[in-house]
Amino acid sequence: MDWNNLPWDKIFIVLTVLISGPGVIVGIVVPAIGQMIVATSGLKAIARQPEAGDRINSIVLLSLAMLESLAIYVLAVVLILIFANPMIKYIVNLE
Amino acid sequence: MKRINNPLTLVLLVAVVIGLAVVSNLLSGPADEAEEPDVAAEIAPCPVFTVGPLEVTTTIINTWAMMLLLGAGAYVAGRNLKLHPGPIQNLLEWIIEAIEKLIREMVGVEDTTIFLPVVGTLAFFIGVANLIGLIPGLRCPTPDINTPLALALVVFFSVPYFGIRTRGVWRYLKHYVEPIFLMLPIEIASEIARTFSLTFRLFGNILGEEIIISILFIVMPLFVPVPMMLFSIFTGLLQAYIFALLTCVYIGGAVKAHK
Repeated sequence: MDWNNLPWDKIFIVLTVLISGPGVIVGIVVPAIGQMIVATSGLKAIARQPEAGDRINSIVLLSLAMLESLAIYVLAVVLILIFANPMIKYIVNLE
Repeated sequence: MKRINNPLTLVLLVAVVIGLAVVSNLLSGPADEAEEPDVAAEIAPCPVFTVGPLEVTTTIINTWAMMLLLGAGAYVAGRNLKLHPGPIQNLLEWIIEAIEKLIREMVGVEDTTIFLPVVGTLAFFIGVANLIGLIPGLRCPTPDINTPLALALVVFFSVPYFGIRTRGVWRYLKHYVEPIFLMLPIEIASEIARTFSLTFRLFGNILGEEIIISILFIVMPLFVPVPMMLFSIFTGLLQAYIFALLTCVYIGGAVKAHK
């Protein structure tokens, strides 16, 4: 393997895109599982005591908003990496 | 402020400022025509003119246009308030009562007079700021990182303000060490983390929407972005609601008495 003459700039771009795919998958599945646990607990709690429904509803909605934002952080990072990468003008010389 | 008797002057003023915003958006894009569409250059804010050491970007001009729109709309809506309201007054009363219900539930006070301006302004500002990108020629000010950062800093400074105003300086400072003394670094770290999370939640949502719509423009300009733009109305209003909800929760944490 000729380590000095590999096209490192193309390898950088390909690696970025290859890492972003599984990154998005993991970054969406994990908050989704968290939201599933919250919603399940909320439904069970309302079924157990229906008159606390309003209070439980607001707590569940707040928790879902906080977990949703984690998926959005991952999406924003991946989109910036693929489309608006600020490092790309240092690594890819001919642009 | 004296009455503006002719509503036409208001409409003309709003139209002039929105026209200036549209012109400044169109004039200050990327400098030369790129061969292929460049997503990064479309999204970044561009300076229009410079006042001393400060640059005035398109974000600021869009925010001025939006502020004028909101101010003129509020003035027009608040002119002839009737006991049996018409449709616009009814809609605005419904929105304000919903925000008051949110404050009463999360902060836990009966008199929402001192909290309603901050929370209501944040809700209306972020809601209209996320929707104004739908008008052709204007762009949302929120994907620029500075706008969500400024709004999160408003929340960061208003939480101690409301805490001290409601409970006094000593009792407010005491609530940091309330259950046990070791809670102090945890509370300080959580204050800073809350500011960052508010910023990046709003910024990431709206920036993600805009990048996806830009990419769909490359695919086919007229029809393909439309479902995504409809979805972005929903997420824009949802983000405004979530920001107001979290502001009420943080203010409630400072104002409520610990049991």
